[in-house]
Amino acid sequence: MKRETDYGYEIKSVYTPEDIAGVDYGRDLGDPGVYPFTRGYYPEGYRSRMWTRRMTAGLGSSEDTNKVLKRYYRMGQRGGLCVISDRVFSDCIDPDHPLGRKEAGVLGWPGCSFLEFEEMMDDIPLTGHSITLLGSCAPTTLRLAYVVALAEKRGDEIGLIHGSVMESPFENYFGQTDVQPFDLNLKLFLDAAEYVLRNNIRMRACIISQHFQESGGNNAQAIAVELSMLKEIIGLLVNERGLEFDTAAKLPYELFSIGSRFFEEVAKMRALRRMWARLAKEEFGAKDDKSCHLLLSVHTSGRTMTYQQPLNNIVRCAIQTLAGVIGGCSALDNATLDNAHAEPSALAARMSLNTQHIVACETGAADVVDPLAGSYFVETLTNRIEEEAYKIYGKIQEFGGMIKALEAGYIQKMLTDEAIKKFQEIENGERLVVGVNHLVLPPGEDFEIPIQEVRGEDSEKIAHRMQEWKKTRNLPHLTEKIVQLYRDARKGDRFNLMPSIIDAVKSYATAGEVMGTIRMARGLSYDPFHIIECPFALDGEASAHAAA
Amino acid sequence: MQVSERIKVIISMIGLDGHTMGAEVVARLLRDAGIEVVYLGVNQTPEMIVQAAMHEDVEAIGISSHASNYNQVVELVELLEKNDLKHVKVFCGGNIPKHKVVELKDKGIAEVFPPGSSGKKIVETFLNGTRGGKWSN
Amino acid sequence: MVQLSAKDQLILDALTSGCVRTCARLISRIERGEPGLVELLRALYMAGGSEKIIGITGPPGAGKSSLVAKVIGVLRRRGNRVAVLAVDPSSPFTGGAILGDRLRMIGHATDPEVFIRSMASRGRLGGLAKKAGDVLTVLSAMPWDFIIVETVGTGQSETEIMHYAAVVVLVQTPMAGDDVQAAKAGINEISDIYVVNKSDHPDADRFRRQLEAMVGLGLRLEGDRLWRPPVVKTQSLVGEGVDELVDQIGQRFRTLAESPELSRQRFRHRLRHRVVEIVREMLERDIQSGNGMLPDSRLEPVLAREKDPYELAREFLSGGT
Repeated sequence: MKRETDYGYEIKSVYTPEDIAGVDYGRDLGDPGVYPFTRGYYPEGYRSRMWTRRMTAGLGSSEDTNKVLKRYYRMGQRGGLCVISDRVFSDCIDPDHPLGRKEAGVLGWPGCSFLEFEEMMDDIPLTGHSITLLGSCAPTTLRLAYVVALAEKRGDEIGLIHGSVMESPFENYFGQTDVQPFDLNLKLFLDAAEYVLRNNIRMRACIISQHFQESGGNNAQAIAVELSMLKEIIGLLVNERGLEFDTAAKLPYELFSIGSRFFEEVAKMRALRRMWARLAKEEFGAKDDKSCHLLLSVHTSGRTMTYQQPLNNIVRCAIQTLAGVIGGCSALDNATLDNAHAEPSALAARMSLNTQHIVACETGAADVVDPLAGSYFVETLTNRIEEEAYKIYGKIQEFGGMIKALEAGYIQKMLTDEAIKKFQEIENGERLVVGVNHLVLPPGEDFEIPIQEVRGEDSEKIAHRMQEWKKTRNLPHLTEKIVQLYRDARKGDRFNLMPSIIDAVKSYATAGEVMGTIRMARGLSYDPFHIIECPFALDGEASAHAAA
Repeated sequence: MQVSERIKVIISMIGLDGHTMGAEVVARLLRDAGIEVVYLGVNQTPEMIVQAAMHEDVEAIGISSHASNYNQVVELVELLEKNDLKHVKVFCGGNIPKHKVVELKDKGIAEVFPPGSSGKKIVETFLNGTRGGKWSN
Repeated sequence: MVQLSAKDQLILDALTSGCVRTCARLISRIERGEPGLVELLRALYMAGGSEKIIGITGPPGAGKSSLVAKVIGVLRRRGNRVAVLAVDPSSPFTGGAILGDRLRMIGHATDPEVFIRSMASRGRLGGLAKKAGDVLTVLSAMPWDFIIVETVGTGQSETEIMHYAAVVVLVQTPMAGDDVQAAKAGINEISDIYVVNKSDHPDADRFRRQLEAMVGLGLRLEGDRLWRPPVVKTQSLVGEGVDELVDQIGQRFRTLAESPELSRQRFRHRLRHRVVEIVREMLERDIQSGNGMLPDSRLEPVLAREKDPYELAREFLSGGT
């Protein structure tokens, strides 16, 4: 059995003061709330601000998701709500698209129109807690438009709403694939980012390592990739969109995937805080201390949730939750014990939220800030992962940054190689996983858990509803907004499309319609799957344009 | 695990599922066992996979299904039969609840690999499942 | 006149009437090296007609597959039936392969008038697969309007395509920033049309000018001096420039048709190569099949240096024992 970290550092049997002899408290750690923020951003830690305890929701229709959100609140979800989109919305097609019909509402919330958002948020306030909407990069603009449109409709002050609705274009390479090309995703992401930053909307963007790691990347690679993504995106916002760094720094948050290797996970969170602070200060010249803060959320690791003996996952989830809390997260949501089987059942969701509350109330872990600081082992691990991550980060920078490294295939190869290595380590018994390659039960003796059913007929229902509803919209008004969007989308990458997307969304243009129109304006097919045709007369518009 | 003659298979995702890593890992395992893998990637429909199976004259199809779209795998099996390609075995891997595993096998899916399946078993099943196991050793 | 068995006659009839399923199965038999296919292949050659093979080659990452997908799209719009042979490398260690070209041609995945076949190179260098020649004989006997061959794209000089394709298209990108990329590839002289893909790249125009300058230096056959290989800018992602590329391909086929002597000269060149290839394959099969053409006993004298391998080879070729 291997005794090394997941990035290959061989662990010694004991650590002594010698191992951290080079550590300078003021330079490398600092008190909580003090640069370089290794120990956290708040002097009082969770005493001043408890972490957001939430569960990811989204399944079935928008009404179903609304019910689940309310149920999660009754189960003890506090601080914010989090909804993940289905694959249909993530790909920006509509439920009544031939491919959408089969999967609407299957893996998440089918949020393909403003109507769906209104239904999902029925009787749920937009303010007073964070609104987090997940699911691919391209629909970032739509999710933001929904929030803006609903705030306006309800008369909420937009400045009072906070959360996160944006996802970076890099996710596309890390197993959260959507069909839009990278350059389109990047453009839309920058549009949304610029829009919130210029309008003082407190919406953050996931520029996150979670998917990279859940797809098999190791801890050091995850940090290196995270820093590289931040550098690239913030760099673009500063250099291309003309924002101040201290403004742009308000945008990102990191979602860490936290596994069961407890001490390494804590070290990873501490290391990233320090590395971002240095990048912000030394490279970007941060003027405001707050710009050195990178909000760290935690998702306990879905890939560690085993199919075999699923109740074991409760234990894994508890260890990971404790690691996330001790590492100093600001929000946490859990993979559920049935993660390898199906979407979360009510029981599994409750177990996960309870796990957080047990850690919050019963362990005392939330009473003191950064409790593992000064541990010879944890400080060594913090230094080690930092060192290893800087090496990889350096290589990515040699390519010319994250986008260039992706174009060269470097990141993809690193990820696939690592995923295969992890797979083989389990295959060869170098890493033991209880129930999988250690203490295995015969299939017949494994314990049973309740399974959340996915009903295929729901998708058809959602599709049919959309098909009929589409006809009831104010079509002349809608067409006018779509044509405007088309015109704007032909004005080049720097022309911000958010205002025209918001207008289109308010007139109930759907995800497929908005994205299809933008695609057409960029010379792409309306339908990324080449199945349906554009229902609007944009071609006339296009030729009128060409003639002019 | 060398094979004396080439075996050709398809590895594909189906529907809108975008979690590619499982399919990529399996494709590599099969390649390393000497199999020729036609990798179709994401967003395939049953119709597209059937046409690929016919053009490429493969012996088996492996579908990676992270995303509850295993109903489309059943559609694939039915469509293969309709197109006189019943000899092409269909294997499926991913997050699939146990009762669905039983259901899928009933509907003609040759084998289902839940998370945590060993790579050795996956490769062996592909080798044994093609050409009646004639060429596996 | 080739005499075919009743079974082979059925296959021949099915192929000439365009049966894709029969084609797919026959390609597998060819790839497996099944014995007894020569008569059928002979008949298929006789059934073949005009030249219609387009070779698409270029370094890795040039976007060949995406471009092929767009070319298929244009050809289909113009009413053509298209077959594609896409070659990917085999692992030299295990013989396995991951064939990934098809996934870029997703837009044609259910079109019954398009046939796409992936092939592993199986140790063959030069950009093509070991049995590509036989497979192209099959495809040429079928009613495809065009057959596209996409080479491996290893970045090595893949000149082999000129021995199979009537028209060769070399795809490059300005990305790598290699001014010398074109020259290095060593296939400057064999290409009928040059493509600068990813033409939205800031260096695209500079690169095209360099290529155009270089094209003028290329050696061309007697009687082909009028064809100055065009340089076409494309953006395979959105299909820009692909119509022009297909126009140029059509134009090239027309100039060749209008110069029968030139066509025959080029055809003779391909045939010469093809015959040598068939000889080599036949010999290899006889020698390697282990069924006694070269038993150990005949190797012994060479082993003992009583005889040299050249003499043995000569004996073998002359059919002596």
